[in-house]
Amino acid sequence: MENVLSLVPVLIKMAIVVGVLLLLPLPLTWLERKIAAHIQQRPGPMRVGWHGLLQPLADAIKLLTKEDHIPAEADRMLFSIAPVVALVPPFLVFVAIPIGDPIQMFGTEIALSISDLNVGLLFILAVSGIGVFGTILAGWASNSKYAVLGSLRSIAQMISYEIPMGFSVIGVVMLAGSMQLSQIVSSQQGLWNVVVQPIGFFVFFVSGLAEAQRIPFDLPEAEGDLGAGYHTEYSGIRFSLFMLAEYLVVVVLAFLNVLLFFGGWLGGPAFLPATIWLLLKVGFFIWVFMWLRFTFPRYRYDQLMAIGWKLLLPLSLLNILVSGFVML
Amino acid sequence: MARTGVKRSNWIGRVLLVDLLAGLRLTLGYMVSKTVTHHYPDYEKWVPYQRHRGHHFIKTNEEGEVNCVACELCSKICPCDCITVIPFENEKGDRRPKVFDINLARCLYCGLCEDACPADAIKLGQEYEVATHHRGTLVVHLEDLVKAPGKAGNGGVVRPATLDRNGGLRSVTRTRPKDAGLDWWSRIRRER
Ligand code: SF4
Ligand code: SF4
Repeated sequence: MENVLSLVPVLIKMAIVVGVLLLLPLPLTWLERKIAAHIQQRPGPMRVGWHGLLQPLADAIKLLTKEDHIPAEADRMLFSIAPVVALVPPFLVFVAIPIGDPIQMFGTEIALSISDLNVGLLFILAVSGIGVFGTILAGWASNSKYAVLGSLRSIAQMISYEIPMGFSVIGVVMLAGSMQLSQIVSSQQGLWNVVVQPIGFFVFFVSGLAEAQRIPFDLPEAEGDLGAGYHTEYSGIRFSLFMLAEYLVVVVLAFLNVLLFFGGWLGGPAFLPATIWLLLKVGFFIWVFMWLRFTFPRYRYDQLMAIGWKLLLPLSLLNILVSGFVML
Repeated sequence: MARTGVKRSNWIGRVLLVDLLAGLRLTLGYMVSKTVTHHYPDYEKWVPYQRHRGHHFIKTNEEGEVNCVACELCSKICPCDCITVIPFENEKGDRRPKVFDINLARCLYCGLCEDACPADAIKLGQEYEVATHHRGTLVVHLEDLVKAPGKAGNGGVVRPATLDRNGGLRSVTRTRPKDAGLDWWSRIRRER
């Protein structure tokens, strides 16, 4: 009975996280379209609801009621599971992401994360690595050359950028002496990691962009040369699952940037609850990602590889070396 | 290679990503500047300049008679052969058009008819919404031409408007023609 009761808060938290994450892409698409529009001096969606706020809802209805087409030559099994494989990792990552110090409620202490794993960071890096399987399966199962090219590119990109990304957080782990995200945050009391580890932050930010396949590293879905890349053949609800995954990866990335380098929920003004302060920072990062997206052109494939292997990898190694010396 | 030389010479800027930051600064500036979209047709409408050559109109004199003397010069000079004028003699013994049709579907809005007219009768006005579902309605007659809107008084601005759904869709401006509209060009950003 005791065990069952202790499950209740976990289940409630899971329900909240899943619900929020499922709905989050709606405002995010709106935000992205607004930012894109204003950078081009357009107002963006304006007609459905106040300043087009209900537009994502209309789009969602459209996507859900569209024909769900599977190409005749496609591998039907893989084709159907690929969007789910792409969607699950971003959800799983949120298991380990804390959004504040534990709070007191109903006389018990409730941690503001589903599970504050003591290898949280490792878990997140590992799980988000799985996400690329969705891309690979989608490209392979579609049996179309654009899709295959897109997923080939994304495999190469993932391999090259996972390495500097992993290395860049080692500095942070060394400073905190732990891989637990809440410990990493509390180790930034007084001084955010971005001040101590500017190179680490730069490498993490750039390789994070590449991992999330955002512009300027969005080669797997380069609409100019590949149609839509790995999800060229997808339509209707399966396509919207890919879009969902894409937006959630951006949110995960924003969370990681804030937790690892920008002090998490620490350092806010006294009147703001810590969690709100954290979410504000996360929102800022999401905005920065969208701003970057509509500013930069796409890198060429060889440039992408050069940045990954010749710039970010040595930089991240240098970062580890320097932090090691400083800490000794 | 010359290009490498150029690259080497500003390596400090490249290391600090100066060019990328300049791009970001530019797009940030655009993000906070005003949008240039016309919310046509149900919120705003572009009123063209006075020189705009749109839907024709025919001027009338103080007694309400059309200025046109049915000389058919406009119909002769029209490169598209789209004006039909049939003259008749009215009670006062003046020569006036019995039929004055313009086929707007053929017209290229060159304004030659306006230049040719000796009686200051036919003009090209500000109206530019001539879209329709039936080709036949594009042939406009004398009574339509007399009623058609004239030249824009102080045009070249955007005015608040509403959508009029009676008899086809038309955007109708809501302010009086005398009121100054929004100077749309002031919203265009120019880099120094
Ligand atoms: S504007 Fe030109 S084409 Fe049109 S009716 Fe006049 S003369 Fe003909
Ligand atoms: S509109 Fe002018 S040019 Fe044409 S018939 Fe009348 S008077 Fe002559």
